[in-house]
Amino acid sequence: MQTQTTDAKSIGVVYRKTKGRYDVHLCDALIHCTLSAKLWKDFELSSGRVQDVDRKHHDPIAVGDRVAFIPADDGAGLIVEILPRRNALVRTSARPMHGAHAFEQVIAANLGQVVPVFAATNPEPKWRMLDRLLVAAESGGIPSLVVVTKIDLLRGQSTEKDLLVVVERYRQIGYPVVLVSAQTGEGLDDLRQTLAGKTSVLAGKSGVGKSTLLNALDPHLDLAAHSVNPKTGKGRHTTSHLEMYPLTFGGAVIDTPGTREFGIWDLQPERLADCFPEMRSLLGRCQFGLSCTHDDEPGCAIRQAVMAGAVSPHRYQSYLRLKADL
Amino acid sequence: MRINFKDINTDFTCKNCGWFVSASMGVSGVVNRNHCPYCLYSRHVDLFEAGDRLCACKALMTPVGVTLKRNKDKYALRGGELMLVHCCTDCGALSINRIAADDDTVSILAAFERGMGSTPQFRQQYQEAGITLLQEPDRSLVETCLYGAAVSLSI
Repeated sequence: MQTQTTDAKSIGVVYRKTKGRYDVHLCDALIHCTLSAKLWKDFELSSGRVQDVDRKHHDPIAVGDRVAFIPADDGAGLIVEILPRRNALVRTSARPMHGAHAFEQVIAANLGQVVPVFAATNPEPKWRMLDRLLVAAESGGIPSLVVVTKIDLLRGQSTEKDLLVVVERYRQIGYPVVLVSAQTGEGLDDLRQTLAGKTSVLAGKSGVGKSTLLNALDPHLDLAAHSVNPKTGKGRHTTSHLEMYPLTFGGAVIDTPGTREFGIWDLQPERLADCFPEMRSLLGRCQFGLSCTHDDEPGCAIRQAVMAGAVSPHRYQSYLRLKADL
Repeated sequence: MRINFKDINTDFTCKNCGWFVSASMGVSGVVNRNHCPYCLYSRHVDLFEAGDRLCACKALMTPVGVTLKRNKDKYALRGGELMLVHCCTDCGALSINRIAADDDTVSILAAFERGMGSTPQFRQQYQEAGITLLQEPDRSLVETCLYGAAVSLSI
């Protein structure tokens, strides 16, 4: 990552963040930085919240952000500016307690692509979660690449063809889908080609094998990874923070902790259909034009397309459920 | 696909007759309330299996007759549960649904008679879908299913 110096400030990319500390990449070194009080104050004011912004749950900086910082003599740094983002993957925060307000949570910024990762089995894939991630990426204007891991567990099984039907569904929409196995190496070369030269964020539930996959793609990463709990089949949340890793074959990848839920943030319901590429060309063709909610109205072009088989009924159902959440 | 009927079984207002319908299993006796107990109309919302809610048609389905659910006893001459046959008013799709405990028996008998009055063309369509509508000779069977063996309306 290239850096530059402007008025004693340096500009780097946030590679890792933990509570109150940011590791900023500068000339192949990581500078441990903190946030300036002024920047934090500006963030509190701009977030427009009535309650105090809780530092534990709110953070103006995301992994991938380009920041201007002042290097200190001891090798540390003070972040004084966050440069404008090209794009960001954003979700509604998990509510820390019942009745608490949700807020915007930026997963990562300045991305080349979002990579939703799902296991073919163990744990079973939740395709509605995939639809949520794809909508969040579309909403942020970021391309997506779907990865299905542990494909070796399904080869030769009767359920393999069910998975391939779903995979084909997304490919027909236009999303590239790569089937991989960290154990056998299947699909890893294809995946390296699609990750090279881009900054990608891996997102998915705990236990799908994100860190294991990264270790298989680039063994020098040596990330901590564990198998799923054999009794429950659920992940163990081994990865506990966000961190960006440069890849030896080019590009960088952001490993994320397992995501249990993914609420869509700041998307108007009337814009939701625009985040489904297969529905985009049908917008405005309904009997009620752009006012159609594509639910019960007669003459709805999208419902007709679903009936005709041009739009998947599963994707349509995801659309309705997401609309109900917004 | 495993369907959790607890998630989809919600109270609703019938789009045909306008009555409020409770989805409570204690009232209906069925896990999946899929038609109005008063007018017996349903909605075309299921596509591959009962409760999947994947169908985008959503048009009203009219009760066109009654049939018997095929049971596993292949030697039984007449057996099986009495079922309602619905036909979509928009796309013509057919479905068979269980009768709920609180379904109006007069409406069920009306549906039975509607099935008797269906044209040969429609009966052919149902046959091709593997559905045999009960006819006049089956009247006492239908009444027995609805009212019990001791009661016969044809006396």
